[in-house]
Amino acid sequence: MTAVSLSVKSLTVEFTSGGYKIRPLNGFSFEGDDGQLVVLLGPSGCGKTTMLSCLAGLLKPASGSIHFNDEEVTALRGGALAAYRRQTVGVVFQAFNLIPSLSARANVMVPLRLAGVPRKEARERATALLARVGLTERINHRPAQMSGGQQQRVAIARALVQDPPLVLADEPTAHLDYIQVEGILRLLRDLARPGRMVVVATHDERITNLADNVVELVPLLPAAQREPREVALGAGEFLFRQGEPSDLVYLIQSGEIEILREKSDGEEEHVTVIGPGGYFGELGPMLNLPRSASARALQPTVLTGHSVQQFRTLRPGKQVQR
Amino acid sequence: MWGVTFADLRYRYRQFLIAVIGAGLVLAMALLMSGLVGGFTAETDWTVGGVGAQRWVLAANSHGSIAGSEVFPQSDVAVIARSHGVTRAAPLVIALAQVARIGRYTRSVEVFGVQIGNMGDPAVTSGHALSGSGQAVADVGAGVTTGAQITVGAMPFRVVGQVSNRTMLAGVPILYVSLRDAQALSFGGRPLVTAVVTRGIPAMVPAGLTVLSNQAIEQRLLANLSGAVSSINNSKVVMWLVAAMIVAALLYVSALQRVRDFAVLKALGSSSLALFGSLALQAVVVTLLAAAFAMVISNFMGGLFKQPVAVPASAFATLPAVAVGVGLISSLVALRRATGADPAAAFGG
Repeated sequence: MTAVSLSVKSLTVEFTSGGYKIRPLNGFSFEGDDGQLVVLLGPSGCGKTTMLSCLAGLLKPASGSIHFNDEEVTALRGGALAAYRRQTVGVVFQAFNLIPSLSARANVMVPLRLAGVPRKEARERATALLARVGLTERINHRPAQMSGGQQQRVAIARALVQDPPLVLADEPTAHLDYIQVEGILRLLRDLARPGRMVVVATHDERITNLADNVVELVPLLPAAQREPREVALGAGEFLFRQGEPSDLVYLIQSGEIEILREKSDGEEEHVTVIGPGGYFGELGPMLNLPRSASARALQPTVLTGHSVQQFRTLRPGKQVQR
Repeated sequence: MWGVTFADLRYRYRQFLIAVIGAGLVLAMALLMSGLVGGFTAETDWTVGGVGAQRWVLAANSHGSIAGSEVFPQSDVAVIARSHGVTRAAPLVIALAQVARIGRYTRSVEVFGVQIGNMGDPAVTSGHALSGSGQAVADVGAGVTTGAQITVGAMPFRVVGQVSNRTMLAGVPILYVSLRDAQALSFGGRPLVTAVVTRGIPAMVPAGLTVLSNQAIEQRLLANLSGAVSSINNSKVVMWLVAAMIVAALLYVSALQRVRDFAVLKALGSSSLALFGSLALQAVVVTLLAAAFAMVISNFMGGLFKQPVAVPASAFATLPAVAVGVGLISSLVALRRATGADPAAAFGG
């Protein structure tokens, strides 16, 4: 059994949505070791699924690297990438994503058949795996004839059918009741053993109790305890850029700040100009979302950065601004 | 991938069944279009060949058409009969596009005046053959039964027998009467004829007449229908396109329903080409089933047409090939859905 290791360094993923540049991952790094159950924890929209897509070799990052063992996944192309997807990674998709027309066994056989494994051998391996996840009596049932937990077990069996050293699971408890959750979590916990790593993306903090390694995609900032921070900017200088992590709400003491959006074609879209006494940037830190726009000084400007809680104390009843 | 393809066909069998029936009906209509064109040839062959002649002698200025009005004296029949090579000769008067009154109804008929007992006098399928003036033998398509009264022009006839497969010019039934009655009807009783049919090949004919084979007569008659044949063939192509559109619509909807499946299959290692191949195979299976359905039901749909319908064997033979072509063309509409599926979308909830 070969020990496995995972290293993600400065991973940035960028894409266009509605004409704007979005960076769900911005310079993200983490490590995983052999036999670990790694939990990527974070709220919706923080880039967990994007991270899994990159780990699965289904999405190319704009920059940064992923190494699994000695292989640089982000450098793989063509046949090598296809082989990595087929042999190294097993994926348990959110909402199971089984093929509705196929039986449980046929669903598990799909990756094997696509890899050219003879039908008889694929059938035997799929039957054995379904027995391992406790679905012997359901092998001929279609997904619609099974409970959510049973479908999730089929999805796990499908992910394991090539005996991959890296198993990825996206929100594996999202569609399950608490009884089903227990069984699925026990199964995932058991899968993480020497020679294999299991990476689970979830917003469900209960799973962290089972994890060997918890990676928070949006770190909980100790902003509440921060002292207000004064910032002085020269004309044309950026306070923050679109897509960067949010931490503080800013009050303008003097000068003017332009709020603008950076479009995917490089153009800038003017949103508004805020003058002395005005404030901005509350929603991002409040919801743990990246900045949805950039802030640039139009002239020499002085601002004070407050945590959300401090800002609420200072200005109760204020409307939320971008 | 083929397992996924056929499993999906079974899973969505209702959708596919609707497409098979829809495309099958349209392909059946296309087959019947071929049958109509085939029917033109068949009826001409049955009617001209049914006379039993080897050669036709017509007025030279008829340009080979028995559908014209050029005439020549009946006395020429004797001259032709004596010509070297001729063993038998019979006069005909062919009067086309006559209006017959049958009870309260009227309909078009082609009148063939024949010498009773000679070539051209048809063998009846019911009733009895012509035996004198005032009698008529009608094709069953005329819709008159034996014993019925029928009036052509001002002349009354009693139908004494029926024949089948004796029509011309896209299903117009033929009414056989005696030569004298036909001459009375068309020429005021003058001894004129429009054709002489012969057994044997006349070595020479009187001036102003020309000798034609059965094949030449048939070709000239079919030339009158060339416009209709062209229109029908164009309609047939439209039918194929409609069948393609039906299957294409099914595949497009199916592809939309399977976008997530495509993404999952790609994420599991399937290629875009394999996904497109799967869709194309489904389309071909549907169109082949539709073709089979069309072949069966076309046998029962011939009655929709008054014209003779004779679907040529070649139309049945080529239909599967047409079906494969239709299937492949229709699968192109789903090409982008299959090849454009983003495997990362498999992560969606």
